[in-house]
Amino acid sequence: MIFWEIAKRNVKIHMLRSFLAMLGIVIGVVAISTMGILGNSMVLAVSDSLKSVGDSVIVTPHVGGSGGVFGGGGGSAANLKISEQQFQQIKRTSAPNVAIPILQTSDRMKFGVGKDDIVAAIYGINPDDVPDLLKLQEGGYSRGDSGCLVGSQFAVDNNVKVGSRISIGTDGNLGTLRVTGIIEERGMAFDVSTDSAIVVTKNWFDAAYNRDDYDKVVVKVNDLDSLETVKTSIEKQMNKRDKIVDVMDTRKTMETIFQTFGQITTFVSAIGGISMIVAGVSILNIMMMSVTERIKEIGIMRSIGSQRKEVMGMFLYEALILGVVGSFIGGAMSLLGGYAISSLMLKTTKYLFVPSSLVSIVYGVSFGIVICLICGIYPAWRAAHLSPIDALRHE
Amino acid sequence: MDCLLEKGQEVSGHMDDQPVMLFRDVSKVYPLPAGDVVALDGVSFRVDRGEFISIMGPSGSGKSTLLNLMGCLDTPTGGDIFISGCRTKEMSDVDLTNLRRDRIGFIFQYFNLFPLLNIIENVTFPMMLKSQKAVNPERGKEVLRSVQLEEKLFTHTPTELSGGQQQRVAIARALINDPDILLCDEPTGNLDSKTGTGIMELMTELNRKGTTIIMVTHDPHIAEYSARTIRIADGRIVE
Repeated sequence: MIFWEIAKRNVKIHMLRSFLAMLGIVIGVVAISTMGILGNSMVLAVSDSLKSVGDSVIVTPHVGGSGGVFGGGGGSAANLKISEQQFQQIKRTSAPNVAIPILQTSDRMKFGVGKDDIVAAIYGINPDDVPDLLKLQEGGYSRGDSGCLVGSQFAVDNNVKVGSRISIGTDGNLGTLRVTGIIEERGMAFDVSTDSAIVVTKNWFDAAYNRDDYDKVVVKVNDLDSLETVKTSIEKQMNKRDKIVDVMDTRKTMETIFQTFGQITTFVSAIGGISMIVAGVSILNIMMMSVTERIKEIGIMRSIGSQRKEVMGMFLYEALILGVVGSFIGGAMSLLGGYAISSLMLKTTKYLFVPSSLVSIVYGVSFGIVICLICGIYPAWRAAHLSPIDALRHE
Repeated sequence: MDCLLEKGQEVSGHMDDQPVMLFRDVSKVYPLPAGDVVALDGVSFRVDRGEFISIMGPSGSGKSTLLNLMGCLDTPTGGDIFISGCRTKEMSDVDLTNLRRDRIGFIFQYFNLFPLLNIIENVTFPMMLKSQKAVNPERGKEVLRSVQLEEKLFTHTPTELSGGQQQRVAIARALINDPDILLCDEPTGNLDSKTGTGIMELMTELNRKGTTIIMVTHDPHIAEYSARTIRIADGRIVE
């Protein structure tokens, strides 16, 4: 149709002005889409990090209560422990799911002569339970008390390999352990964060630190739908009279985390949306300029038989061209922006080409087009409702 | 006779037995804060098919108001206007626009071509408005030939043409939908005398072939080309 052709030619003839208007839209789309991609990538990254613990119920001593139930009434969180008897209660309650008692501390350790001591976390776990909790990237699980596992980051940071020896305690006074395996990267975890830690057998830990109790119990739940039930059963059983344990359902916690990430993504995208609104105002301004410049032309069109809706359509086409071209360029640039920002902030781009990330671009492009059309409506309406006589007289 | 049109409906066919334009006691008053201004006061006249009429009068006499009313760009305060049998007073904006598109051809002093369109597109523009689709350019070329525009100029843009050539294109555009009336506002006002003469000879030729022409002009020499002159002063027809 001729009005579409006129709109196209008008955009083309005012190339610089059109380009500047589109630039605003491009920036707006890039801002919204890139923020959406980043937010989604972060959610996916965190999800990947946490998914290995999404099937657990974690039982820890209650902090902040009356004290005295665990550890003899010290009141300090550090003194709160879970006794063997209480662990057995938890185990019975959560059966047939596996309940894994965890011991935890940190200590000095050394690798070979002449090297500096470091301080790292040490987990004590029964060797039979370790395969339920941890996967290895290299080596094997330790069977004897003289072996240990190390986290992947720990291995990289300290140049530790399978077969390396680690002396534990000040000057190695607690003994030397041989590394039998390197644990797969687990990222952030609610149960045990082993990436920069070592895992020893429970027997060795008990002997070295003179312990007969536990820091926490991890219940690995087979049927994810029963997570809530297991959590409630443990709470009921253990906190009958006083609250003596805190029970955390990791999936629920993850859901809360994801929800929070989602809100952050929405908020950040909304900030990107402000730049789109500014771009929309620029489109409005340019469209008003276009109408003002072409009042005489509008008058001629109306006088020779153009309907109001046709004049309105011509200006909306113009806004649509600016919106579609600007938004699609912005969409393409969002991919580049998403790639760059993912590489820089997340050190990976594997979350970029997934539907939930790409949909951010679709949202950004759609928002750009809709904003352009909305901002084109008033100028177009104004053009269409000019009096033909006044428009013809306009110089 | 009323000619009440449905939206988008074409104006009904020619009726040779009735005037192509009829003004009956038409008045136009502009209400202003300082007091009403009477631009036209009880104007009545008729234009029959095939007439060539000049409208003359001093500045402020009401010529432009009269032209706007004849072109359905404005509505009268009182009285009735009939164009091609249609009473314009109660027509909607859509119907008035259709009437302008189908029954009236406009020729302006400053040509008023669309600079973004080439000559063929300018000429066929009203045709496209009428058919609502792409049109065969042959009809445009045919009309352009009839106004004696060189064929090599058909794909040029208006700014590449002289004033006389632009006015020929404007005449072709006005004729493209085969209107009942050509309304001309100082058609030679922006042309040198030689080119103006050429344009007037073309319009005389069009009138000879049956086109009804109403022309507003200040120039008595130009008015001489018409068969009848309506003189207007202070909003009234004086002669």
